[in-house]
Amino acid sequence: MHALAALLAAGQIHVVAAENMWGSLAAQLGGSRVRVTSVVASPAADPHDYEPTAVDARGFATAQLLIVNGDGYDAWASKLIAANPVSGRIVLTVGDLVGARTGGNPHLWYSPANVRTVAAAITRAYAKLDPTSTPYFRALASRFRTNALAQYDHLIAAIRRRFGGAPVGASESIFAPLARTLGLRLLTPPSFLQAISEGSEPTAGDITTIDRQIARREIDVWVYNAQNSTPDVARLTSRARADRIPVVTITETLAPANATFEQWQVRQLKALELALARR
Amino acid sequence: MPTSAVFTGLDWHPVHDARELVAYPFMQHALAAGTIVAVTAGVVGWFMVLRRQSFAGHTLSLTAFTGASAAGLAGVPVIAGYYLACGAGAVALAAASGSRRSLSRESAATGSVQALALALGFLFISLYHGLLSDLDSLLFGTFLGVTRDQVLVLLLVAAPTLALVAVAARPLLYASVDPDVAGAAGIRVRLLGLGFLLVLGISVAETAQITGALLVFALLVTPAAAAHRITARPVAGVAVSVALALAVTWTGLALAYFSVYPVGFWITSVAFAVYVVARAAT
Repeated sequence: MHALAALLAAGQIHVVAAENMWGSLAAQLGGSRVRVTSVVASPAADPHDYEPTAVDARGFATAQLLIVNGDGYDAWASKLIAANPVSGRIVLTVGDLVGARTGGNPHLWYSPANVRTVAAAITRAYAKLDPTSTPYFRALASRFRTNALAQYDHLIAAIRRRFGGAPVGASESIFAPLARTLGLRLLTPPSFLQAISEGSEPTAGDITTIDRQIARREIDVWVYNAQNSTPDVARLTSRARADRIPVVTITETLAPANATFEQWQVRQLKALELALARR
Repeated sequence: MPTSAVFTGLDWHPVHDARELVAYPFMQHALAAGTIVAVTAGVVGWFMVLRRQSFAGHTLSLTAFTGASAAGLAGVPVIAGYYLACGAGAVALAAASGSRRSLSRESAATGSVQALALALGFLFISLYHGLLSDLDSLLFGTFLGVTRDQVLVLLLVAAPTLALVAVAARPLLYASVDPDVAGAAGIRVRLLGLGFLLVLGISVAETAQITGALLVFALLVTPAAAAHRITARPVAGVAVSVALALAVTWTGLALAYFSVYPVGFWITSVAFAVYVVARAAT
Protein backbone atom coordinates (compact mmCIF):
# COMPACT_ATOMS: atom_id res chain seq x y z
CA MET A 1 0.00 0.00 0.00
CA HIS A 2 2.75 2.43 0.94
CA ALA A 3 4.68 1.70 -2.21
CA LEU A 4 1.51 2.17 -4.27
CA ALA A 5 0.74 5.50 -2.61
CA ALA A 6 4.26 6.65 -3.46
CA LEU A 7 3.77 5.67 -7.09
CA LEU A 8 0.44 7.44 -7.36
CA ALA A 9 2.03 10.52 -5.85
CA ALA A 10 4.72 10.39 -8.52
CA GLY A 11 1.93 10.46 -11.14
CA GLN A 12 2.84 7.18 -12.77
CA ILE A 13 0.14 5.06 -14.39
CA HIS A 14 -0.15 1.73 -12.55
CA VAL A 15 -0.29 -1.06 -15.15
CA VAL A 16 -0.84 -4.75 -14.43
CA ALA A 17 -0.27 -7.24 -17.27
CA ALA A 18 -1.49 -10.81 -16.84
CA GLU A 19 1.57 -12.11 -18.75
CA ASN A 20 5.04 -10.59 -19.01
CA MET A 21 5.26 -10.47 -22.83
CA TRP A 22 2.39 -7.98 -22.80
CA GLY A 23 3.98 -6.35 -19.75
CA SER A 24 7.21 -5.83 -21.73
CA LEU A 25 5.31 -3.92 -24.44
CA ALA A 26 3.54 -1.84 -21.79
CA ALA A 27 6.83 -0.95 -20.07
CA GLN A 28 8.56 0.08 -23.31
CA LEU A 29 5.58 2.12 -24.51
CA GLY A 30 5.11 3.91 -21.18
CA GLY A 31 8.70 4.66 -20.21
CA SER A 32 9.08 6.66 -17.02
CA ARG A 33 5.38 7.63 -16.94
CA VAL A 34 4.20 4.10 -16.05
CA ARG A 35 4.86 1.40 -13.49
CA VAL A 36 4.23 -2.11 -14.89
CA THR A 37 3.70 -5.32 -12.92
CA SER A 38 3.45 -8.64 -14.76
CA VAL A 39 1.69 -11.54 -13.05
CA VAL A 40 2.79 -14.61 -15.05
CA ALA A 41 6.54 -14.17 -15.35
CA SER A 42 8.23 -17.49 -14.60
CA PRO A 43 9.73 -19.23 -17.66
CA ALA A 44 9.79 -22.46 -15.60
CA ALA A 45 6.01 -22.80 -15.10
CA ASP A 46 3.18 -23.49 -17.55
CA PRO A 47 1.07 -20.31 -17.83
CA HIS A 48 -1.99 -22.40 -18.82
CA ASP A 49 -2.11 -23.71 -15.23
CA TYR A 50 -1.50 -20.43 -13.39
CA GLU A 51 -3.31 -19.95 -10.06
CA PRO A 52 -3.50 -16.33 -8.91
CA THR A 53 -2.47 -15.21 -5.40
CA ALA A 54 -3.84 -12.53 -3.09
CA VAL A 55 -0.96 -10.29 -4.18
CA ASP A 56 -2.15 -10.57 -7.80
CA ALA A 57 -5.73 -9.76 -6.74
CA ARG A 58 -4.49 -6.65 -4.93
CA GLY A 59 -2.72 -5.57 -8.13
CA PHE A 60 -5.91 -6.08 -10.15
CA ALA A 61 -7.87 -4.04 -7.59
CA THR A 62 -5.52 -1.05 -7.84
CA ALA A 63 -4.34 -0.96 -11.47
CA GLN A 64 -5.46 1.85 -13.81
CA LEU A 65 -4.67 -0.22 -16.90
CA LEU A 66 -5.10 -4.00 -17.04
CA ILE A 67 -3.73 -5.99 -19.99
CA VAL A 68 -4.96 -9.56 -20.25
CA ASN A 69 -4.57 -12.03 -23.09
CA GLY A 70 -8.11 -13.42 -23.01
CA ASP A 71 -9.34 -16.23 -25.28
CA GLY A 72 -9.33 -18.70 -22.37
CA TYR A 73 -5.56 -18.35 -21.83
CA ASP A 74 -5.96 -16.49 -18.52
CA ALA A 75 -9.48 -17.22 -17.27
CA TRP A 76 -8.23 -16.42 -13.77
CA ALA A 77 -7.62 -12.83 -14.88
CA SER A 78 -11.21 -12.35 -16.08
CA LYS A 79 -12.38 -13.60 -12.68
CA LEU A 80 -10.16 -11.14 -10.82
CA ILE A 81 -11.48 -8.32 -13.04
CA ALA A 82 -15.09 -9.31 -12.29
CA ALA A 83 -14.39 -9.55 -8.55
CA ASN A 84 -12.76 -6.09 -8.50
CA PRO A 85 -14.97 -3.51 -10.16
CA VAL A 86 -13.07 -0.21 -10.40
CA SER A 87 -14.46 2.85 -12.15
CA GLY A 88 -12.25 4.66 -14.63
CA ARG A 89 -9.95 1.68 -15.08
CA ILE A 90 -9.12 0.56 -18.64
CA VAL A 91 -9.09 -3.16 -19.41
CA LEU A 92 -7.31 -4.26 -22.61
CA THR A 93 -8.28 -7.80 -23.58
CA VAL A 94 -6.01 -8.79 -26.45
CA GLY A 95 -8.32 -11.55 -27.71
CA ASP A 96 -11.17 -9.07 -28.12
CA LEU A 97 -8.85 -6.46 -29.61
CA VAL A 98 -7.49 -8.64 -32.41
CA GLY A 99 -10.81 -10.40 -32.96
CA ALA A 100 -9.68 -13.94 -32.15
CA ARG A 101 -12.59 -16.32 -31.83
CA THR A 102 -13.10 -17.97 -28.43
CA GLY A 103 -11.55 -21.41 -28.26
CA GLY A 104 -9.12 -20.60 -31.05
CA ASN A 105 -5.37 -20.43 -30.66
CA PRO A 106 -4.79 -18.18 -27.63
CA HIS A 107 -1.05 -17.60 -28.28
CA LEU A 108 -1.79 -14.19 -29.78
CA TRP A 109 1.67 -12.68 -29.20
CA TYR A 110 3.22 -15.12 -31.70
CA SER A 111 1.69 -13.05 -34.51
CA PRO A 112 3.60 -9.84 -35.46
CA ALA A 113 0.38 -8.18 -36.67
CA ASN A 114 -1.24 -8.72 -33.25
CA VAL A 115 1.82 -7.27 -31.50
CA ARG A 116 1.46 -4.03 -33.48
CA THR A 117 -2.29 -3.83 -32.85
CA VAL A 118 -1.77 -4.28 -29.10
CA ALA A 119 1.07 -1.75 -28.99
CA ALA A 120 -1.17 0.85 -30.66
CA ALA A 121 -4.01 0.10 -28.20
CA ILE A 122 -1.65 0.48 -25.21
CA THR A 123 -0.49 3.88 -26.46
CA ARG A 124 -4.14 4.99 -26.90
CA ALA A 125 -4.94 3.83 -23.34
CA TYR A 126 -1.94 5.74 -21.95
CA ALA A 127 -3.02 8.91 -23.76
CA LYS A 128 -6.48 8.59 -22.23
CA LEU A 129 -5.14 8.02 -18.68
CA ASP A 130 -2.47 10.75 -18.85
CA PRO A 131 -3.42 13.17 -21.66
CA THR A 132 -0.67 15.69 -20.89
CA SER A 133 2.01 13.06 -21.63
CA THR A 134 0.53 12.16 -25.05
CA PRO A 135 3.51 13.54 -27.07
CA TYR A 136 5.89 11.49 -24.90
CA PHE A 137 3.83 8.31 -25.46
CA ARG A 138 3.67 8.99 -29.22
CA ALA A 139 7.46 9.33 -29.37
CA LEU A 140 7.92 6.05 -27.49
CA ALA A 141 5.40 4.31 -29.77
CA SER A 142 7.21 5.43 -32.87
CA ARG A 143 10.58 4.39 -31.40
CA PHE A 144 9.15 0.98 -30.49
CA ARG A 145 7.78 0.38 -34.01
CA THR A 146 10.81 1.52 -35.94
CA ASN A 147 13.77 0.77 -33.64
CA ALA A 148 12.84 -1.92 -31.13
CA LEU A 149 11.00 -4.14 -33.60
CA ALA A 150 13.46 -3.56 -36.47
CA GLN A 151 15.53 -6.73 -36.05
CA TYR A 152 12.41 -8.79 -35.27
CA ASP A 153 10.73 -7.61 -38.48
CA HIS A 154 13.94 -8.08 -40.47
CA LEU A 155 14.44 -11.69 -39.27
CA ILE A 156 10.83 -12.61 -40.04
CA ALA A 157 11.14 -11.24 -43.57
CA ALA A 158 14.51 -12.98 -44.07
CA ILE A 159 13.28 -16.40 -42.90
CA ARG A 160 10.18 -16.06 -45.04
CA ARG A 161 12.25 -15.20 -48.10
CA ARG A 162 14.89 -17.90 -47.61
CA PHE A 163 12.91 -20.78 -46.14
CA GLY A 164 9.29 -20.13 -47.16
CA GLY A 165 7.51 -23.43 -47.83
CA ALA A 166 9.91 -25.49 -45.67
CA PRO A 167 8.16 -28.36 -43.79
CA VAL A 168 8.36 -28.14 -39.99
CA GLY A 169 6.90 -29.86 -36.90
CA ALA A 170 5.93 -28.37 -33.54
CA SER A 171 5.01 -29.61 -30.08
CA GLU A 172 2.20 -27.13 -29.44
CA SER A 173 -0.18 -24.70 -31.15
CA ILE A 174 1.92 -21.78 -29.86
CA PHE A 175 4.11 -21.99 -32.99
CA ALA A 176 1.19 -22.04 -35.47
CA PRO A 177 0.70 -18.24 -35.85
CA LEU A 178 4.44 -17.65 -36.33
CA ALA A 179 4.73 -20.54 -38.80
CA ARG A 180 1.95 -18.93 -40.85
CA THR A 181 3.72 -15.54 -40.80
CA LEU A 182 7.03 -17.16 -41.77
CA GLY A 183 5.42 -19.09 -44.63
CA LEU A 184 6.54 -22.44 -43.15
CA ARG A 185 4.47 -25.59 -43.71
CA LEU A 186 3.50 -26.88 -40.24
CA LEU A 187 2.93 -30.60 -40.85
CA THR A 188 2.05 -31.63 -37.27
CA PRO A 189 -1.67 -32.54 -37.00
CA PRO A 190 -3.60 -29.49 -35.65
CA SER A 191 -5.53 -31.75 -33.27
CA PHE A 192 -2.22 -32.72 -31.59
CA LEU A 193 -1.10 -29.08 -31.32
CA GLN A 194 -4.42 -28.18 -29.72
CA ALA A 195 -4.52 -31.17 -27.33
CA ILE A 196 -1.08 -30.32 -25.89
CA SER A 197 -2.04 -26.64 -25.56
CA GLU A 198 -5.25 -27.49 -23.73
CA GLY A 199 -3.73 -30.16 -21.53
CA SER A 200 -5.86 -32.97 -22.95
CA GLU A 201 -4.70 -36.38 -24.13
CA PRO A 202 -3.39 -36.48 -27.75
CA THR A 203 -4.70 -39.34 -29.90
CA ALA A 204 -2.56 -42.36 -30.73
CA GLY A 205 -3.13 -41.71 -34.44
CA ASP A 206 -1.65 -38.22 -34.20
CA ILE A 207 1.41 -39.48 -32.32
CA THR A 208 1.95 -42.20 -34.94
CA THR A 209 1.77 -39.54 -37.67
CA ILE A 210 4.40 -37.38 -35.93
CA ASP A 211 6.64 -40.40 -35.29
CA ARG A 212 6.48 -41.22 -38.99
CA GLN A 213 7.21 -37.62 -40.00
CA ILE A 214 10.33 -37.71 -37.80
CA ALA A 215 11.45 -41.18 -38.90
CA ARG A 216 11.06 -40.34 -42.60
CA ARG A 217 12.59 -36.90 -42.05
CA GLU A 218 9.58 -35.24 -43.57
CA ILE A 219 10.17 -32.18 -41.36
CA ASP A 220 13.24 -29.92 -41.48
CA VAL A 221 12.95 -28.63 -37.90
CA TRP A 222 11.11 -29.66 -34.71
CA VAL A 223 9.93 -26.65 -32.67
CA TYR A 224 9.52 -27.52 -29.00
CA ASN A 225 7.64 -25.46 -26.38
CA ALA A 226 9.71 -25.92 -23.21
CA GLN A 227 6.99 -24.42 -21.01
CA ASN A 228 4.37 -27.05 -21.86
CA SER A 229 6.11 -30.39 -22.03
CA THR A 230 4.19 -33.64 -21.51
CA PRO A 231 5.76 -37.12 -21.54
CA ASP A 232 4.58 -37.48 -25.17
CA VAL A 233 6.20 -34.17 -26.16
CA ALA A 234 9.43 -35.07 -24.34
CA ARG A 235 9.59 -38.44 -26.13
CA LEU A 236 8.93 -36.93 -29.58
CA THR A 237 11.52 -34.23 -28.94
CA SER A 238 14.25 -36.69 -27.98
CA ARG A 239 13.24 -38.86 -30.95
CA ALA A 240 13.75 -35.85 -33.24
CA ARG A 241 17.15 -35.19 -31.66
CA ALA A 242 18.13 -38.85 -32.07
CA ASP A 243 17.16 -38.72 -35.75
CA ARG A 244 19.24 -35.54 -36.15
CA ILE A 245 16.35 -33.26 -36.87
CA PRO A 246 17.32 -29.81 -35.50
CA VAL A 247 15.27 -28.94 -32.39
CA VAL A 248 14.41 -25.28 -31.69
CA THR A 249 13.22 -24.50 -28.17
CA ILE A 250 10.67 -21.71 -27.69
CA THR A 251 8.74 -20.56 -24.62
CA GLU A 252 5.32 -19.13 -23.77
CA THR A 253 6.58 -16.19 -21.72
CA LEU A 254 9.79 -14.13 -21.73
CA ALA A 255 12.96 -16.19 -21.32
CA PRO A 256 14.95 -15.09 -19.42
CA ALA A 257 12.19 -13.36 -17.49
CA ASN A 258 14.02 -10.00 -17.60
CA ALA A 259 14.42 -9.95 -21.41
CA THR A 260 12.32 -7.57 -23.51
CA PHE A 261 9.71 -8.99 -25.87
CA GLU A 262 11.87 -8.30 -28.95
CA GLN A 263 15.14 -9.59 -27.42
CA TRP A 264 13.38 -12.85 -26.59
CA GLN A 265 11.69 -13.22 -29.97
CA VAL A 266 14.85 -12.30 -31.89
CA ARG A 267 16.88 -14.94 -30.03
CA GLN A 268 14.26 -17.58 -30.87
CA LEU A 269 14.02 -16.48 -34.52
CA LYS A 270 17.82 -16.61 -34.90
CA ALA A 271 17.86 -20.15 -33.49
CA LEU A 272 15.10 -21.10 -35.95
CA GLU A 273 16.99 -19.53 -38.86
CA LEU A 274 20.15 -21.46 -37.96
CA ALA A 275 18.23 -24.72 -37.61
CA LEU A 276 16.48 -24.26 -40.97
CA ALA A 277 19.85 -23.51 -42.61
CA ARG A 278 21.25 -26.84 -41.34
CA ARG A 279 18.86 -28.86 -43.47
CA MET B 1 10.29 -21.91 5.77
CA PRO B 2 10.69 -18.49 7.44
CA THR B 3 7.42 -16.74 8.22
CA SER B 4 8.32 -13.77 6.03
CA ALA B 5 8.26 -16.04 2.98
CA VAL B 6 4.83 -17.48 3.83
CA PHE B 7 3.17 -14.29 5.03
CA THR B 8 3.52 -11.43 2.59
CA GLY B 9 1.86 -8.09 3.18
CA LEU B 10 1.32 -8.67 6.89
CA ASP B 11 2.32 -5.69 9.04
CA TRP B 12 1.87 -7.53 12.37
CA HIS B 13 -0.19 -4.53 13.45
CA PRO B 14 -3.79 -5.67 14.25
CA VAL B 15 -5.67 -2.48 13.32
CA HIS B 16 -3.69 -1.82 10.17
CA ASP B 17 -3.90 -5.45 9.06
CA ALA B 18 -7.65 -5.60 9.69
CA ARG B 19 -8.16 -2.44 7.62
CA GLU B 20 -6.00 -3.88 4.85
CA LEU B 21 -8.17 -7.03 4.90
CA VAL B 22 -11.31 -5.15 3.85
CA ALA B 23 -9.62 -2.56 1.62
CA TYR B 24 -10.28 -4.26 -1.74
CA PRO B 25 -13.56 -5.34 -3.35
CA PHE B 26 -12.42 -8.93 -3.95
CA MET B 27 -11.77 -9.38 -0.23
CA GLN B 28 -15.07 -7.73 0.81
CA HIS B 29 -16.86 -10.18 -1.52
CA ALA B 30 -14.87 -13.13 -0.18
CA LEU B 31 -15.62 -12.27 3.47
CA ALA B 32 -19.34 -11.75 2.73
CA ALA B 33 -19.53 -15.04 0.81
CA GLY B 34 -17.55 -16.84 3.53
CA THR B 35 -19.92 -15.56 6.22
CA ILE B 36 -23.04 -16.77 4.36
CA VAL B 37 -21.42 -20.13 3.65
CA ALA B 38 -20.23 -20.57 7.25
CA VAL B 39 -23.67 -19.90 8.76
CA THR B 40 -25.36 -22.32 6.33
CA ALA B 41 -22.72 -25.02 6.80
CA GLY B 42 -22.73 -24.59 10.58
CA VAL B 43 -26.51 -25.11 10.87
CA VAL B 44 -26.97 -27.82 8.24
CA GLY B 45 -23.73 -29.57 9.25
CA TRP B 46 -24.96 -29.88 12.83
CA PHE B 47 -28.06 -31.80 11.66
CA MET B 48 -25.97 -33.85 9.22
CA VAL B 49 -23.65 -35.04 11.99
CA LEU B 50 -26.66 -35.74 14.24
CA ARG B 51 -28.27 -37.83 11.48
CA ARG B 52 -24.94 -39.61 10.72
CA GLN B 53 -25.23 -38.60 7.08
CA SER B 54 -21.63 -37.45 6.63
CA PHE B 55 -21.16 -40.02 3.88
CA ALA B 56 -24.17 -38.61 2.03
CA GLY B 57 -22.67 -35.12 2.46
CA HIS B 58 -19.36 -36.37 1.09
CA THR B 59 -21.13 -37.87 -1.91
CA LEU B 60 -22.96 -34.61 -2.56
CA SER B 61 -19.65 -32.72 -2.45
CA LEU B 62 -18.29 -34.97 -5.19
CA THR B 63 -21.53 -34.32 -7.10
CA ALA B 64 -20.66 -30.62 -6.87
CA PHE B 65 -17.48 -31.42 -8.84
CA THR B 66 -19.58 -33.27 -11.43
CA GLY B 67 -21.90 -30.28 -11.71
CA ALA B 68 -19.03 -27.83 -12.13
CA SER B 69 -17.40 -29.89 -14.87
CA ALA B 70 -20.75 -30.39 -16.62
CA ALA B 71 -21.34 -26.64 -16.47
CA GLY B 72 -17.92 -26.04 -18.02
CA LEU B 73 -18.75 -28.44 -20.84
CA ALA B 74 -22.22 -26.93 -21.43
CA GLY B 75 -20.87 -23.38 -21.27
CA VAL B 76 -23.18 -22.31 -18.43
CA PRO B 77 -21.98 -20.65 -15.19
CA VAL B 78 -20.20 -23.05 -12.84
CA ILE B 79 -22.44 -21.91 -9.97
CA ALA B 80 -25.58 -23.14 -11.78
CA GLY B 81 -23.81 -26.49 -12.17
CA TYR B 82 -23.15 -26.70 -8.44
CA TYR B 83 -26.80 -26.12 -7.46
CA LEU B 84 -28.35 -28.33 -10.17
CA ALA B 85 -25.99 -31.25 -9.62
CA CYS B 86 -26.25 -31.17 -5.83
CA GLY B 87 -30.06 -31.00 -6.06
CA ALA B 88 -30.10 -33.92 -8.49
CA GLY B 89 -27.60 -35.78 -6.30
CA ALA B 90 -29.85 -35.36 -3.26
CA VAL B 91 -32.83 -36.80 -5.14
CA ALA B 92 -30.68 -39.68 -6.43
CA LEU B 93 -29.47 -40.44 -2.89
CA ALA B 94 -33.00 -40.37 -1.51
CA ALA B 95 -34.20 -42.69 -4.28
CA ALA B 96 -31.21 -45.04 -3.97
CA SER B 97 -31.28 -45.42 -0.21
CA GLY B 98 -35.05 -45.75 0.16
CA SER B 99 -35.96 -46.32 3.77
CA ARG B 100 -33.35 -45.15 6.28
CA ARG B 101 -33.88 -48.28 8.34
CA SER B 102 -30.77 -50.08 7.13
CA LEU B 103 -27.59 -48.01 7.50
CA SER B 104 -25.45 -50.56 5.68
CA ARG B 105 -27.77 -50.67 2.68
CA GLU B 106 -27.92 -46.87 2.64
CA SER B 107 -24.14 -46.46 2.66
CA ALA B 108 -23.75 -49.04 -0.13
CA ALA B 109 -26.29 -47.17 -2.26
CA THR B 110 -24.63 -43.83 -1.43
CA GLY B 111 -21.23 -45.24 -2.39
CA SER B 112 -22.60 -46.35 -5.76
CA VAL B 113 -24.02 -42.89 -6.46
CA GLN B 114 -20.67 -41.37 -5.43
CA ALA B 115 -18.64 -43.50 -7.84
CA LEU B 116 -21.03 -42.65 -10.70
CA ALA B 117 -20.84 -38.93 -9.89
CA LEU B 118 -17.03 -38.95 -9.95
CA ALA B 119 -16.95 -40.95 -13.19
CA LEU B 120 -19.36 -38.52 -14.88
CA GLY B 121 -17.29 -35.56 -13.65
CA PHE B 122 -14.17 -37.10 -15.17
CA LEU B 123 -16.04 -37.77 -18.43
CA PHE B 124 -17.14 -34.13 -18.68
CA ILE B 125 -13.60 -32.91 -17.96
CA SER B 126 -12.15 -35.09 -20.72
CA LEU B 127 -14.89 -34.05 -23.19
CA TYR B 128 -14.30 -30.38 -22.41
CA HIS B 129 -12.10 -28.91 -25.13
CA GLY B 130 -10.69 -25.77 -23.73
CA LEU B 131 -8.14 -24.71 -21.20
CA LEU B 132 -9.04 -26.26 -17.87
CA SER B 133 -7.01 -23.94 -15.73
CA ASP B 134 -9.68 -23.91 -13.05
CA LEU B 135 -9.54 -27.57 -12.06
CA ASP B 136 -7.52 -26.85 -8.91
CA SER B 137 -9.94 -24.22 -7.67
CA LEU B 138 -12.95 -26.47 -8.49
CA LEU B 139 -11.47 -29.16 -6.26
CA PHE B 140 -9.62 -27.19 -3.58
CA GLY B 141 -11.28 -23.80 -3.44
CA THR B 142 -10.62 -20.19 -4.30
CA PHE B 143 -11.56 -16.87 -2.76
CA LEU B 144 -10.05 -14.45 -5.24
CA GLY B 145 -12.72 -14.43 -7.94
CA VAL B 146 -15.92 -13.91 -5.93
CA THR B 147 -18.17 -11.31 -7.61
CA ARG B 148 -20.93 -9.18 -6.08
CA ASP B 149 -23.54 -11.17 -8.04
CA GLN B 150 -22.17 -14.41 -6.61
CA VAL B 151 -22.58 -13.06 -3.06
CA LEU B 152 -26.19 -12.10 -3.86
CA VAL B 153 -26.96 -15.58 -5.23
CA LEU B 154 -25.40 -17.18 -2.15
CA LEU B 155 -27.59 -15.02 0.07
CA LEU B 156 -30.78 -15.55 -1.95
CA VAL B 157 -30.31 -19.32 -1.73
CA ALA B 158 -29.11 -19.46 1.88
CA ALA B 159 -31.94 -17.37 3.38
CA PRO B 160 -34.89 -19.61 2.36
CA THR B 161 -32.83 -22.75 3.03
CA LEU B 162 -32.12 -21.68 6.61
CA ALA B 163 -35.74 -20.53 7.06
CA LEU B 164 -36.89 -23.99 5.97
CA VAL B 165 -34.57 -25.65 8.50
CA ALA B 166 -35.83 -23.30 11.23
CA VAL B 167 -39.46 -24.12 10.49
CA ALA B 168 -38.83 -27.88 10.37
CA ALA B 169 -36.23 -27.92 13.18
CA ARG B 170 -38.35 -29.59 15.87
CA PRO B 171 -39.81 -32.48 13.80
CA LEU B 172 -36.42 -32.90 12.05
CA LEU B 173 -34.74 -33.24 15.44
CA TYR B 174 -37.22 -35.93 16.57
CA ALA B 175 -37.02 -37.78 13.25
CA SER B 176 -33.22 -37.70 13.42
CA VAL B 177 -32.87 -38.90 17.01
CA ASP B 178 -35.53 -41.63 16.92
CA PRO B 179 -37.26 -42.14 13.56
CA ASP B 180 -39.55 -44.95 14.87
CA VAL B 181 -41.03 -42.91 17.73
CA ALA B 182 -41.27 -39.84 15.50
CA GLY B 183 -43.10 -41.87 12.84
CA ALA B 184 -45.50 -43.25 15.43
CA ALA B 185 -46.16 -39.69 16.60
CA GLY B 186 -47.33 -38.77 13.09
CA ILE B 187 -44.17 -37.09 11.79
CA ARG B 188 -43.54 -37.80 8.10
CA VAL B 189 -40.03 -39.17 8.52
CA ARG B 190 -39.34 -40.07 4.87
CA LEU B 191 -40.49 -36.70 3.56
CA LEU B 192 -38.30 -34.97 6.14
CA GLY B 193 -35.41 -37.21 5.07
CA LEU B 194 -35.76 -36.19 1.42
CA GLY B 195 -36.19 -32.54 2.40
CA PHE B 196 -33.05 -32.66 4.51
CA LEU B 197 -31.02 -34.25 1.71
CA LEU B 198 -32.10 -31.38 -0.59
CA VAL B 199 -31.11 -28.82 2.06
CA LEU B 200 -27.79 -30.66 2.48
CA GLY B 201 -27.25 -30.60 -1.30
CA ILE B 202 -27.86 -26.85 -1.44
CA SER B 203 -25.49 -26.27 1.49
CA VAL B 204 -22.79 -28.33 -0.21
CA ALA B 205 -23.28 -26.34 -3.43
CA GLU B 206 -22.84 -23.10 -1.47
CA THR B 207 -19.82 -24.27 0.53
CA ALA B 208 -18.05 -25.72 -2.52
CA GLN B 209 -17.88 -22.23 -4.06
CA ILE B 210 -15.34 -21.22 -1.41
CA THR B 211 -13.68 -24.46 -0.27
CA GLY B 212 -13.83 -26.40 -3.54
CA ALA B 213 -15.62 -29.74 -3.91
CA LEU B 214 -13.08 -31.84 -2.01
CA LEU B 215 -12.75 -29.61 1.05
CA VAL B 216 -16.46 -28.93 1.71
CA PHE B 217 -16.17 -31.02 4.86
CA ALA B 218 -13.84 -28.52 6.51
CA LEU B 219 -16.92 -26.33 7.07
CA LEU B 220 -19.74 -28.86 6.94
CA VAL B 221 -18.44 -31.57 9.28
CA THR B 222 -15.57 -30.34 11.41
CA PRO B 223 -17.23 -27.38 13.23
CA ALA B 224 -20.44 -29.43 13.68
CA ALA B 225 -18.53 -32.43 15.02
CA ALA B 226 -16.68 -30.21 17.48
CA ALA B 227 -19.99 -28.62 18.55
CA HIS B 228 -21.51 -32.05 19.21
CA ARG B 229 -18.58 -32.84 21.49
CA ILE B 230 -18.90 -29.55 23.35
CA THR B 231 -22.67 -29.69 24.05
CA ALA B 232 -25.56 -32.10 23.45
CA ARG B 233 -28.21 -29.38 23.75
CA PRO B 234 -29.65 -28.64 20.28
CA VAL B 235 -29.94 -24.84 20.31
CA ALA B 236 -26.57 -24.33 21.99
CA GLY B 237 -25.03 -26.96 19.71
CA VAL B 238 -26.19 -25.23 16.51
CA ALA B 239 -24.98 -21.88 17.89
CA VAL B 240 -21.53 -23.31 18.71
CA SER B 241 -21.37 -25.00 15.30
CA VAL B 242 -22.13 -21.70 13.51
CA ALA B 243 -19.68 -19.76 15.69
CA LEU B 244 -16.89 -22.25 15.00
CA ALA B 245 -17.63 -22.30 11.25
CA LEU B 246 -17.50 -18.48 11.20
CA ALA B 247 -14.24 -18.40 13.17
CA VAL B 248 -12.70 -21.02 10.89
CA THR B 249 -13.79 -19.20 7.71
CA TRP B 250 -12.69 -15.73 8.76
CA THR B 251 -9.35 -16.97 10.11
CA GLY B 252 -8.80 -19.08 6.99
CA LEU B 253 -9.58 -16.18 4.64
CA ALA B 254 -7.33 -13.79 6.57
CA LEU B 255 -4.45 -16.28 6.59
CA ALA B 256 -4.93 -16.93 2.86
CA TYR B 257 -4.99 -13.19 2.13
CA PHE B 258 -1.70 -12.51 3.86
CA SER B 259 0.09 -15.71 2.87
CA VAL B 260 1.17 -17.56 -0.23
CA TYR B 261 -0.70 -20.75 0.73
CA PRO B 262 -4.17 -21.44 -0.80
CA VAL B 263 -7.41 -20.77 1.07
CA GLY B 264 -8.54 -24.43 1.02
CA PHE B 265 -5.46 -25.42 2.98
CA TRP B 266 -5.95 -22.72 5.61
CA ILE B 267 -9.67 -23.26 6.20
CA THR B 268 -9.18 -27.02 6.48
CA SER B 269 -6.17 -26.71 8.81
CA VAL B 270 -7.89 -24.22 11.12
CA ALA B 271 -11.00 -26.42 11.22
CA PHE B 272 -8.88 -29.44 12.05
CA ALA B 273 -7.13 -27.56 14.85
CA VAL B 274 -10.53 -26.54 16.28
CA TYR B 275 -11.68 -30.17 16.19
CA VAL B 276 -8.50 -31.42 17.91
CA VAL B 277 -8.90 -28.81 20.66
CA ALA B 278 -12.58 -29.71 21.12
CA ARG B 279 -11.71 -33.41 21.39
CA ALA B 280 -8.92 -32.81 23.85
CA ALA B 281 -11.00 -30.47 26.01
CA THR B 282 -14.15 -32.61 26.23
